[in-house]
Amino acid sequence: MKTFQDLVLALHRFWREQGCAIVEPYDIEKGAGTFNPATFFGVLGPRPWRVAYVEPSRRPTDGRYGENPIRFGLHHQYQVILKPPPADIQELYLRSLEAVGINLREHDVKFAHDDWESPTLGAWGVGWQVWLDGMEITQFTYFQQMGGMDLNPVSVELTYGLERIALFLQGVESAFDLRWAEWLTYGEMFRERERQFSIYHFEKASVERARTMFDFHEAEAKECLAHGLVFPAYDHTLRCSHLFNTLDARGALAQAERETYIARVRALARACAETYVAEVVGAQVPDRSRS
Amino acid sequence: MPKFLIEVGVEDLPAEEAELIAQSFRENLLSRLREARVPHGKAHLFWTLRRFALLVEDLAERQEDAVEEIRGPAVAAALDPQGNLTPAALGFLRRYGASPKDLIRKKVGEKEYLFLRLERPGRPTAEILREIVPEAIRAIPCSKSMRWDESGGFLRPIRWAVALLDGEVVPLEIAGVRAGRVTFGHRFLSGPVELSRPEEYVQRLKEAHVYADPLERAELLRAEIRRLEEQYGARAALSEALWTLILGQTEWPKPVVGRIPKEFLELPEPVVVAALREEGKFVPYTRGGKIAEIFLGFAEGEGNPEIIRRGYERVVGIRLRDALGFFAQDRKRTLESRVPELREIVYEARLGTVWDRVERIRFLCRHLARELCLPADRLDRAALLCKADLLTVMVREFPELEGVMGGIYARLDGEPEEVAKAIEEHVRPAGKADPLPETPLGLALSLAEKLDGVIGPLRVGEMPTGSRDPYGVRRRGNAVVRIILEKGLRLDLFGLIEEAAKRYPGTAPAEVVKEFLWERLRSALEERGIPHDVAEAVLAQKRGDFLGVWERAQALAGLLGRRELADLALAFGRVRNITRGQEIEGFRPELFQEEAERELWQAFLSAKSRVEEALSRHQPSAALEALLSLKRPIDRYFDEVLVMCEDEGIRRNRLGFLTELSRLFLQVADLSRLVVPG
Repeated sequence: MKTFQDLVLALHRFWREQGCAIVEPYDIEKGAGTFNPATFFGVLGPRPWRVAYVEPSRRPTDGRYGENPIRFGLHHQYQVILKPPPADIQELYLRSLEAVGINLREHDVKFAHDDWESPTLGAWGVGWQVWLDGMEITQFTYFQQMGGMDLNPVSVELTYGLERIALFLQGVESAFDLRWAEWLTYGEMFRERERQFSIYHFEKASVERARTMFDFHEAEAKECLAHGLVFPAYDHTLRCSHLFNTLDARGALAQAERETYIARVRALARACAETYVAEVVGAQVPDRSRS
Repeated sequence: MPKFLIEVGVEDLPAEEAELIAQSFRENLLSRLREARVPHGKAHLFWTLRRFALLVEDLAERQEDAVEEIRGPAVAAALDPQGNLTPAALGFLRRYGASPKDLIRKKVGEKEYLFLRLERPGRPTAEILREIVPEAIRAIPCSKSMRWDESGGFLRPIRWAVALLDGEVVPLEIAGVRAGRVTFGHRFLSGPVELSRPEEYVQRLKEAHVYADPLERAELLRAEIRRLEEQYGARAALSEALWTLILGQTEWPKPVVGRIPKEFLELPEPVVVAALREEGKFVPYTRGGKIAEIFLGFAEGEGNPEIIRRGYERVVGIRLRDALGFFAQDRKRTLESRVPELREIVYEARLGTVWDRVERIRFLCRHLARELCLPADRLDRAALLCKADLLTVMVREFPELEGVMGGIYARLDGEPEEVAKAIEEHVRPAGKADPLPETPLGLALSLAEKLDGVIGPLRVGEMPTGSRDPYGVRRRGNAVVRIILEKGLRLDLFGLIEEAAKRYPGTAPAEVVKEFLWERLRSALEERGIPHDVAEAVLAQKRGDFLGVWERAQALAGLLGRRELADLALAFGRVRNITRGQEIEGFRPELFQEEAERELWQAFLSAKSRVEEALSRHQPSAALEALLSLKRPIDRYFDEVLVMCEDEGIRRNRLGFLTELSRLFLQVADLSRLVVPG
C-alpha cells in the first residue's frame, strides 16, 4: 500500500465485495461520517442497508495549527454501515485491515470498550475503539438509537481514521509526511489549510455572526419541517451543528449555554428522524420510551 | 460423578466489567442448581474478555426426588355424605392429571382439606441444565444492555457456547446460539478447538493461546510488572482501575517495554502517569517521586515486539505532546483568574453552581479553622482556589488530575506552599484505600469538601439506598469519619452541621445529616474491629465529638474480658432497668435513709469528679476505671435498699439519685448494652 489514495481504493474494493454501495461524501460541513444522510437516514426504518464512503470531517476544536502530527481540524473518515450486521462482523472488519496491508499477527490489536454517543444527533450505540499498537484506528459501534428513535434492525457503523492507518502503512511519524499520491504529500495538500482554519476557528470567527447564522438555519430547518421537507431540513440541521462547533471552538459558549445549543440541534435531528420515518419510510414511529 | 462445562463466547466485553459478568454468571448458575436440587462439587470460574466459563465438578446425574403437596378443596366440600368424591374434588384431580390414590387429608388451622401428594422424581441433570443455563445468563446484570439481532439483549453479542456434561453436549440454546463442543482459541493465533471432555478446557485453550484462568493471567502480569521494577529500580504506578483493565484486556498478554522521550520527562509526574494509564493502556513507573523513563504495555498475542514498541511510543509521544500543549495553555492564566467562571459550571440543578459549592466550602472552612486552630486566611485561600482547576484544559482531558493539577498550578502561581498542598490534597481520599491528606490545611479542606458533598445531597432528599448512591454520599460520609478518626481531629461535628445546614437549599433537617453520619461512624467502628456490643454502648448517646466516641470504644474494648467490667455492666444494668422510663430530675441527699444510700452517694461524688476530669483530658480509660469503683457500692445498694418503696417522696428521691448516677455512666458508655458472659 503505497499511498493514501491506495488505502481508500483498497477499502472501496473490500466493502464493495461485501455488497456495500460506495457513495460519496456529503457536501456540507460535518463533524463525522455519521452525519452524512446515507447514514443518518439509512439506519432508520426496516430496510437493509449497506454503504461505504470517505467523509472529510471537520472538528474545529481538534485543530492544532498544522503543528500536531495526527490532530487536525479536518480529518478523513472511512465510514461503513452494515444493516443488519452479519454475525461475523468482527472478523469481517479485521479482514478489511488485512486487505489494506496490515499484518494483524505482527501487531497488538485490541477492541477497547467505548460506547459512542452523539448528543447533537440524539444517537448512541455500544462498541469499541479498535487500537492498533495502542493507537485508536477505528470506532466500531452497534447503533441502538438515531434521532432519538430505537433502531430495528440495528446497524453496525465502522469509522476508520484514515490518516492514522496510513501512518502505519507508510511507516511515517507525521500525517503531513504521508504520500497522498506518488507526487503529492498530505502536508502539501492540508498543512496551510489547517493553519488557516485553526486561526479562523480559535481566533477570528465572528461569534455574533455565527450565532445569527445558527438562528437563521434553525428557523429555516423548522420551516422546512413544517412543510414535510425533511431533506432540506436536515441540511440546515447540519449547518447548525457546524456553527455550534465553531462557537464551541471559539470559546464563546459557557457551560449552560453549550447545553442549550446541543439541545436545539438535537431537537431538529429528532424532528427530521421522526418525520422521515413517519412520512418517507411510512412505518409506525417506534416506542420512544427508551429515549 | 459427571463434570459440567459451560462456556459462553462473546464479542469483546468491556475489560472493566468482564470479571463482574463472570462472577454474576457463576452465582446465578450455582443458586439455580441449588434451587433445582442438583448437588455438585467444586465450581471453577474462568474468564477473559471474550468468554466466561464455569466448570462444575461432581454434579449429580439427576435432581434429588421431591414430594409436592397441593391443597385442594375442603373435605366438607370434597366428599359427599357417602364418602364419595364430589365434582369439585374430581375437577381438582383432573386439573393435575392425578388419581384418587394421590389424595391425603390434612388439617390447616381448624379446617381439614384434601391435598394431592405428588411424587416428583428427579429429572436428569442435563434436562435441568437446558432450562437453568439460559436463565442464569439472562439474569446477569449488565451496565448497558444492547441489541444486535432479534435474539434478545446482553452486554455484547453472544457468538458461541460450549455445554459439555462429561463427553456429551447438552443441547441448550443461549440468545439464539446452540451450544456444542467447539470453542475458539486466540483471535489470530488459533481457530476452533473441539473439546471432548470438560476437564481439558483450560489446557486446550492454553494450547490455543488463551489463558482462560484469570489467576494464571494475573500472576503472569504481576511477575512482569515486578521484573521491570527490579531491572530499572523503579516502582510501578498501578492503580486499582488500571489493574482491572490490564487484567481484562488480553487473552494472551505479551509484555512490551517502551521509552518516554526526554522532552516529556519535564512534565509534572502526575500528568505523565495519568496520560500513560489512560484507558488502561500502559503501566507507568516512578523513581523517587519523578517519572521513570520506561513504561510497560501488554500486547494481545504474539506480535512483533519491535513494531509494537514503536507504535506504543508513538501513541505515548502524541498524548504527551498534547499534555505539553495543555500545560502551556493553562499556564497563560492564573488559577485565581478562573475562579469567577465557576459560576458557569452547574454542580447540580438544585445545589447550584460550583461557585455556590465553593462558597459553602469556605463557610465550613471558617468554622473548622476556629475549631482546629488553623490559619483562617490560608485555609480560605485554598478553599477559594480548590475548584478552579476544573476550568483548565488539563483537568478536562484528564479528570483524575482534579486537585492535583490545582496544586501544581497554584504553586507555579506563587501561592504559599501550604495552600498549594491543601488544594492538591483536598480530593483525597478518592476511595476506601486511598491515602488521606497529610497537612493540617489539606485535612480541613478535604473534610469541608466531603461534608459539603454529604450535606448538600441529603438536604435535597438524595439519601442513598441499597447499592444506589448516585451522588457518592456514602463514600464521602465514610471519608468524613475516616479523616476524623484516623487523623484525630477533635471537633463538634454536629454543631458545625447545624450551623451549615441553613445555608443549603433543600428542606431536610440537620438531624437527617447527623443521623446519617452517626450511622457511618457505627459502621466505621465495626470495620475497625470494635465488637458490636461495645459499639452499641458508646453509640448510645449521640454526640458531635466522633473522635471521643472512637477513643471510648477503644478503651472499653480494651477492658473486655475483665471480670470487674462484666460485674460493673451487670450492676449498671440494674440501675438502667429501674430508672428506664422513670427518669426523675433532682434528689436531696438529706432524704437518704440507709447507710448503703449514703455510701453510694459518696462513691458517686468521687467517681463523678474523676470521670469528668478524665473525659476533659480525653482519657476514657481513666474514666472507666473511676466507674469501676462504683461496682461494689451499687451492688450493696440494691441488696439493702428498696427503691420502689411505699413512701412516694422517698421513692422519687431514690429514682432521682439513680437517674443522676445513670447519666454519669452514659457520658462514658451505656454499659448495660455489653453482652456479659453468664
